[in-house]
Amino acid sequence: MRNNRLLAGLAVLAGIVLIVIAIVYWAEPAKSLPSFFPGHQAGSGHHHAKHGIAAFLVGLACLAFAWFRTGPKRTTTAT
Amino acid sequence: MVPDGAEAHDDRHVIVAALISYPQAILLGLLQGVSELFPISSLGHSVILPKLLGWDIHQNDKYFLTFLVATHLATAIVLFLFFRRDWMRIFKGLGRSLRDREISDDDPDARLGWLLVVGTIPAGILGLTLEHSLRKIFASPTSAAVFLMLNGLLLYGAELLRRRAPVTDVEDDARIARTVSWRGAFFVGATQAIALIPGFSRSGATMGGGLLVGLSHKDAARFAFLLATPIIGAAALLKLPELFGTTGDGVRGQALVAALCSAATAYLAVKFLMRYFETNTLTPFAIYCFTAGLACTAWFLVS
Repeated sequence: MRNNRLLAGLAVLAGIVLIVIAIVYWAEPAKSLPSFFPGHQAGSGHHHAKHGIAAFLVGLACLAFAWFRTGPKRTTTAT
Repeated sequence: MVPDGAEAHDDRHVIVAALISYPQAILLGLLQGVSELFPISSLGHSVILPKLLGWDIHQNDKYFLTFLVATHLATAIVLFLFFRRDWMRIFKGLGRSLRDREISDDDPDARLGWLLVVGTIPAGILGLTLEHSLRKIFASPTSAAVFLMLNGLLLYGAELLRRRAPVTDVEDDARIARTVSWRGAFFVGATQAIALIPGFSRSGATMGGGLLVGLSHKDAARFAFLLATPIIGAAALLKLPELFGTTGDGVRGQALVAALCSAATAYLAVKFLMRYFETNTLTPFAIYCFTAGLACTAWFLVS
């Protein structure tokens, strides 16, 4: 139970971080991205929109995982 | 190929229009519709065919990529309409599972929907991040011919290694939902990434992956087509603005004609393949890819 909550919490955290990263990719050109971001390039005005979409999709997947992980458990009765 | 800069801008329409004629657009559209769904690599064929016919069209030219967007979108729309009843059930299943916060084993539509989501994630991420560089590196007709040959070996290998599919449910989607595990869906989805290399087939990779996780030929084809719809559609929609922007100047008419041709052959192809895989295997496609790839490699090397 505790492990379940920890895993769901981590998934929510990862989901939010990835969605924020996606927004940064969409909003900032390659030259303004933090240097540790893939795609950072000094002097480039190119927007890495695809990197943003990829980060957003994985973020959504993490949130979906957390949503199902914390759902009510249903017990099935054997007949 | 296409001149850049202000001075070249005025000549652009004339040059571009001369690069893809309407007969070429029709042939490329017809070929695209078939080869996108047959496990024989549409990208490989669109690289090899212009070279074989002596056309001055190159895979990495911006106008050609923009032209292909329309044919991909047409294929995705045809696939969606062909499986529209399945998609409606899948969407409802996804909604039910989100509401109940549970993916029940008794709800095959919901499970199939999430299997498709899990399969789409690796393909989408790898496609978004690697497509440009892989296409750039492997865009030559000779490398496409070599990879077409390898695609034949891959299809044949999948046939040899496939697990015998147990018959568990009468209903197609329920059978797929019960047979494919989450890990299996991720694996099948990830195999699509190999199709970023011209010569390897997306549908071939997913059908082969489906066979390896225990699906029958028919179910593997069905799962491959359902999995292909969001990926092909999203990739086309992402590039659609280019078709209506300056890159699309001079190719819009040809792209529309090619899209119509592509839609017609894609419909016939999916209809044919769903019947074909009820009783047949990937082996004929493997033989075709291997021999065509070998013949084209030899031809390109000596010519």
